[in-house]
Amino acid sequence: MTHTIRMRVNGKDYTADVPSQRLLIDCLRYDLGLTGTKEGCSVGVCGACTVVMDGVLVSSCLTLAVLADGKEITTVEGLAQDGKLHPVQQAFIDYGGFQCGICTPGMVVAAKALLDQNQNPSDDDIKDWMMGNLCRCTGYYKIIESIRGAATRMQTERVS
Amino acid sequence: MNSFEFRQPDTVEEALTLLHDLGEDARVMAGGTALVIMMKQRLVMPDCLISLQKLRGLDRINARNGEIQLGALTTHRAVERSEVVRSRLPSLAETYAHVATIRIRNVATVGGALAHADPNQDPPVILLALDAQVGLRSTAGSRQVPIGEFFTDYYETVRQPDELVTEVVVPVLPPRSGSVYLKFLPRTADDYATVGVAATVTIDPATGTCRESRIAMGCVASTPMRAPEAEALVRGQRLTPELAREAGILAQRVTDPISDARGSADYKRAMAGVFVRRALEQAWQRALAAV
Amino acid sequence: MTYNAVGKPIGRVEGPAKVTGAATYSADIQLPSMLWGKALRSPLPHARIVRIDTSAAERLPGVLAVLTAKDLPDLLIGRRVYDMPVLAKDHVRFIGEKVAMVAVEDPDLADEALAHIEVEYDELPAVSDAQEAMKPDAPVLHPQYRLYPHAPAQYFSDLPNVHSHVIWQLGDVEQGFAAAAQVFEHTFTTHYVHQGYIEPHASVVAIESDGRAHVWLSNKMPFRTRELLADAVQIPQEQILVHLIPIGGDFGGKGSLMDLPLCYHLARRTGRPVKMVMSYAEELMAGNPRHPTTVVLRTGVTREGIIVAREANVIFNSGAYAAFKPTPVVNITGASQAAGAYGIPNIRIDAYSVYTNCVPAGHMRAPGDPQVTFAVESAMDMMAEALGIDPLEFRRRNLLRDGDRLPSGHPVEHVKVQETLEAAVHSSRWGQSKPRPNVGRGLAVSHRHIGIGDANAQVTVEGDGTVTLLTAAPDTGTGSHTVLRQIVAETLSMPIEQVRVQVATTDAFEADSGAGGSRVTHVAGQATYQAAEELKTLIREVAAQLLGCQPNDVTLSGGRCAVAANGEPSLSLADVARAALAHERPLTVQKTYRVSEYPHVTGFTAQAVELEVDPETGQMTLLDVVTAHDVGTIINPLGHQGQIEGGLIQGIGFGMIEEMRAEEGRVSTLSLGDYKLPNIKDIPPLKTVLVQEELGPVPFQGKSIGESSITPITAAVANALYDAVGVRICDLPITAEKVYRALQAQQGVGEERPGEDRRGR
Repeated sequence: MTHTIRMRVNGKDYTADVPSQRLLIDCLRYDLGLTGTKEGCSVGVCGACTVVMDGVLVSSCLTLAVLADGKEITTVEGLAQDGKLHPVQQAFIDYGGFQCGICTPGMVVAAKALLDQNQNPSDDDIKDWMMGNLCRCTGYYKIIESIRGAATRMQTERVS
Repeated sequence: MNSFEFRQPDTVEEALTLLHDLGEDARVMAGGTALVIMMKQRLVMPDCLISLQKLRGLDRINARNGEIQLGALTTHRAVERSEVVRSRLPSLAETYAHVATIRIRNVATVGGALAHADPNQDPPVILLALDAQVGLRSTAGSRQVPIGEFFTDYYETVRQPDELVTEVVVPVLPPRSGSVYLKFLPRTADDYATVGVAATVTIDPATGTCRESRIAMGCVASTPMRAPEAEALVRGQRLTPELAREAGILAQRVTDPISDARGSADYKRAMAGVFVRRALEQAWQRALAAV
Repeated sequence: MTYNAVGKPIGRVEGPAKVTGAATYSADIQLPSMLWGKALRSPLPHARIVRIDTSAAERLPGVLAVLTAKDLPDLLIGRRVYDMPVLAKDHVRFIGEKVAMVAVEDPDLADEALAHIEVEYDELPAVSDAQEAMKPDAPVLHPQYRLYPHAPAQYFSDLPNVHSHVIWQLGDVEQGFAAAAQVFEHTFTTHYVHQGYIEPHASVVAIESDGRAHVWLSNKMPFRTRELLADAVQIPQEQILVHLIPIGGDFGGKGSLMDLPLCYHLARRTGRPVKMVMSYAEELMAGNPRHPTTVVLRTGVTREGIIVAREANVIFNSGAYAAFKPTPVVNITGASQAAGAYGIPNIRIDAYSVYTNCVPAGHMRAPGDPQVTFAVESAMDMMAEALGIDPLEFRRRNLLRDGDRLPSGHPVEHVKVQETLEAAVHSSRWGQSKPRPNVGRGLAVSHRHIGIGDANAQVTVEGDGTVTLLTAAPDTGTGSHTVLRQIVAETLSMPIEQVRVQVATTDAFEADSGAGGSRVTHVAGQATYQAAEELKTLIREVAAQLLGCQPNDVTLSGGRCAVAANGEPSLSLADVARAALAHERPLTVQKTYRVSEYPHVTGFTAQAVELEVDPETGQMTLLDVVTAHDVGTIINPLGHQGQIEGGLIQGIGFGMIEEMRAEEGRVSTLSLGDYKLPNIKDIPPLKTVLVQEELGPVPFQGKSIGESSITPITAAVANALYDAVGVRICDLPITAEKVYRALQAQQGVGEERPGEDRRGR
C-alpha cells in the first residue's frame, strides 16, 4: 500500500510516495537523498538517527514515514544557515566534539534542540539530555565541552 | 519490514470499530517505539496497523476529584513535565522521566507502554504503588481495571483484542504521604533497570506510624508485582531501619525473576530486597516532610 | 620547541563535512539501479549442510539473484590465512555464518526472500570453550588447516584445534624459577566485547562496463582490500578500484573484506551495483569481536621483591575461523605483553589461538593488550600483598629500564615508565587518607609500541600557490588527515588554510599498510614529512633561480619565499609554481615510507583509579581517574587528547560494562539495548598527565597514542576494588553482581534464596 506524504524538511517542501512500512530514516536518506542522518543500532538506542519532528527529538529509525505526513522535520542538513555553520556545529569542530563523525549528525541535532530550550545548561542538564546519543570515539568529554562552548557563544551573540 | 495496510482513524469510535472488525489481524500503534522494533525483527507481522496518532482528546492530563487522569496517548515526556503531575504526584512525574531516553519519551505513550506490558518497564511499578486504574474501551462499552489486575504475563494484559486503553487514573495521595521510585542501574544510565522498586507510605500524624503502605517491584517476575506481606509488616508501625530491612526480605521472597544481561535471578531477588528497604526509607522521609 | 602548525589544536580538516552531514560513509553511497544484498545465516554452531533449496526465493518477484557456495569459485579467504569460505559450502561452523545471499530491489523484501530459502542441516557436536577445544576428544573444526593458504607453518601445533602456537622467550625461565624465593600462579579470564563502532559494516560494489569493480567499504586498509578481494573473487588487482571514504569507527574491527566478496558476486550476477549493510544484530552476532582469553601467569620473585621469571600461557578463543587475524603468525601478538612494563630477565610466553564453534574473533584496539595487562597488573597487586610490599613500591622495583629487553627480544630505550608512574601517582589521591569506608585506590601500568608498515604521500604546489597533500591514509576518525595537513604546513612554513588534503583511491599508489597498529602518525606521517621536505628543497631550488641566490639562502615563511638575509623581494608559492611549470619541472613529490623494525622507543601509560563500592549492591562508582602518558611532540593536542579520552572510556567499557553474552556459541546480546556501551552520564572525572620529551620516530619527534589508554584501566579498577573492599575479581567484566557475590561470600552470609533460580548465568 503506497501513501503520498508531504513533509517540510529543513524548510523545504517534499512529496514522496512511500509504502506503509517505509521508515522515516530510509525516506530521508533514500527517497529524499538526505544521507546526513545515520543508522546505527536500528532500535532507537544510539541516537545516530535523531531528527526533530514537529519540535521534538525522535528516532527516525523507529518512525514510520507515513507518520511524518504534514509534519516539519529538521535534520543535520538543516542546521547551517546560508552556508554558515550553526554555533553548535562550529563548537564541535573547535572543541573536538567528534572523531569519526558517524554519531555527529544525531549529536548536533540533539545538542541544538537542548540549547533551543535551555540556554544555560549545567553539565548535568547536558548529560541528562544527551544520554540518548552514544559516541564510541570521544569518551564524551569533548562533547560536553562543545555544548558548553556553544552555549556560551550563543549567549554572547545574543547579548551583542 | 513486511508490508501492511495502514489506517489512521480520526476518532476513538472509528478506531474501536476498526479494531472490532479486524480483530487479531490488526495491531494498534500509539507511539510505535516498541511495536516498530518488534515488526523490524519479524516478531509481529500485522496485516493492518491502526495508528492512533490522529485521535484527539486522549492526550490530556487532568486533575479532578482527587485524581490525576492521564489520557492514554499522553507521551511520557508530557507526564514528566506536567506541572499538574509534578505538584500533586511528583513520584509519578519522576518515574516517567526515568524511561529510556528523551527521544523515546517524546513519542512513547502512557497507554501504549501499558498495553505493551514489558515487565522491565518503569511506569507500571509506580502506578502499582499508587493504586492506579486502567480505563479500557471497546465498541461494547468501557471498563476500569485496577492496575494490579491489568498485567497477566510477559507482554500480556487483560486488554481484549478489540479494546483500547483510554486512560490511566491515579488517585492523589492523602496528606502526610511520601512516594518514590528507585531504578537500579548497575551497567549504564540508559539501560533497563536490573530491579525497579516503588514505595508509597502514608503516616498517621497522631501516632507517627504507617497508616498505609504499598510496595511494588518491577523486573522480578513476568509482571510487575506488589509485596503484600512486606506492606503488612510496615502497616501500623513506625519505620525503623530494621523494619525496612525486614520488609525487604519479605518482599524479595515473593519475587520470581529470570536471569538475563542485567543480572542473574539470584541477584535481582537480592537487589529487590535492598531497594525495597531503600524505597521505604526514602518514601518515609518524603512523608515526614510532606504536609 | 615551538612550531607554527605542529602543536596547535587545529580543528579537523573534514570538520565541516562531518558536522553538516555532508561526509559520505559507505552506507550513504547511492548509485543508479543499485540493489540491496542480504545474507542468510546459520542458526547452528556446527553442522553439515545437507541441502539448500533456493527455488522459492528465486521465484519471488523483486528478487534478482540468490547465490550459494555452488555459484561461487571454490576457494577460501581471510586477512592472512585463508580458512573461511565466502559462503558456507559443506559445513557451518558458527551461529551467524553466511550460507546464502540475495539481491533485491526493495530492502524490505530481503528478509522475506531469505525466509524462503530452505536449508537442511545435520547437526554436529560443537565446542565453544577454547580449553575444551584443545582436549583430545574435542571435535576438530578444520582437519585440513595445515593446507590452508598462508597457514603459519612455523606455528603449527599438535594440540587439537590450535591453529597457531607462538612462543616468546628470553633467558631461561626454569633457572629463573629456581632462583626465586617464591613462585606464584594466577589465572584470569576475559570475555567477548565488540568494537562498538556506531557505523555497522557496509559495502558497495559497482562493476563498470569496462569490467572494473568500484568498491566502497567501511575498511581501513584499502590496498590490502584490493589485494584480498582480487584473490577472493579471482580477478586481477588492476580490475579493482577502492574508493576511500570516511569510516564510522574502526577500533580494529574494520580490516576484513566482510561482505565485500558477496557484493561483488551479486553485482556480477545481476549486472547492477549492490550494497550490503550489516544490521547491528549481525554485527553483534557475526562481526569480529575481541578475543576472549584465559591467561595463566607463573611468576618467580626473589626475597627482595624482584621478579626473576615469568611464564605465561595465553589461550585465545579464535572462533570458527582464523580469517580475521591479519598478522603473519595468525595469533594475537598482545600475548607478548605478559611480561608487562617490567624488566624480567627470564620469560616464556606461549600463546595459543584456538578454533571453536563461536563467532570468529578479530582485532580490537590494542589486540590482546587489555586482556593480558588485566592479568599482569592484577597479579602485581596480588603478589605485592603476599610479599608484604606496597604495590607502588613493588612496581618501582621491577619497571623496565633503558636497555632492558621486551619478550620479543627488542631492547627499549629512553624508558620513562618510572616518571610516568610517578606522574600518575602524584596527580591522584594515592597515599592520602580515605574519605569514607569502601573507597579504594588502584594503579596499573602498560606500554605500547609505535607502529610500523608502509605509507605513501604526494605533495604538490598548485598553480594558485596552495599545496595539495594526496594521501591514502584512511579516515577512521582519529584525525590523521588533519595531523598530516599540519605536518605539511609546518614543513613548508605555510598557513594551514593553504594546505588541502585530497584523499586518494587505490589507483594513486602501489600499496599502503592503511590504519591500525598505532602506525598512522608514524608511517604516513613520515611519508608526508619526507615528501614535504623534498618538495621544500625543490621549491627552494626554483625560487633561488628566480631570486638570484643559492637555494640554501631561500627561506619559506607564511607561504612565501624570500632571500634569508633581507626578506625582500619575496615570491609567493604561486609565482614559484608558475616558474616551475614553465620549466617543465612541476613542484610535486611522491614518497613511500617503509619501516619494518619496531622502533626501540616505546610509549608508557600509567593510570590511577579511586572508586567507591556500595557494599549492599556491589555497584562501583569511579570517583577519580588519572591517566598519565609518556609522549613526544604532540602534533595535534585536540586529537591527541581525544584519543586518550575515547580509549579510556572504551577501557572502562571493556572492564566493567560491556559483555557479549554467549552460551554454547549463541550470542544472546543482539542489540545495543542488551550490549551496553558506555553512556555520557557514566563517565568518571578524568585527569590527563603528559610526561613529555621531544623524542620519537614520528615527525617532529613524537610517538603514538591511539591504543594506549584503553589498556591498564581494567586492572587499575580491579586493584582499586580490592583496596576498597577486599574483593579480587579475576574474570571480566567486573560487575556489581560479581562484587556483591564476593562480598556475601566474604561475610559468610547466606542469601535469602527461596526457590533458587538455576537458569541462565
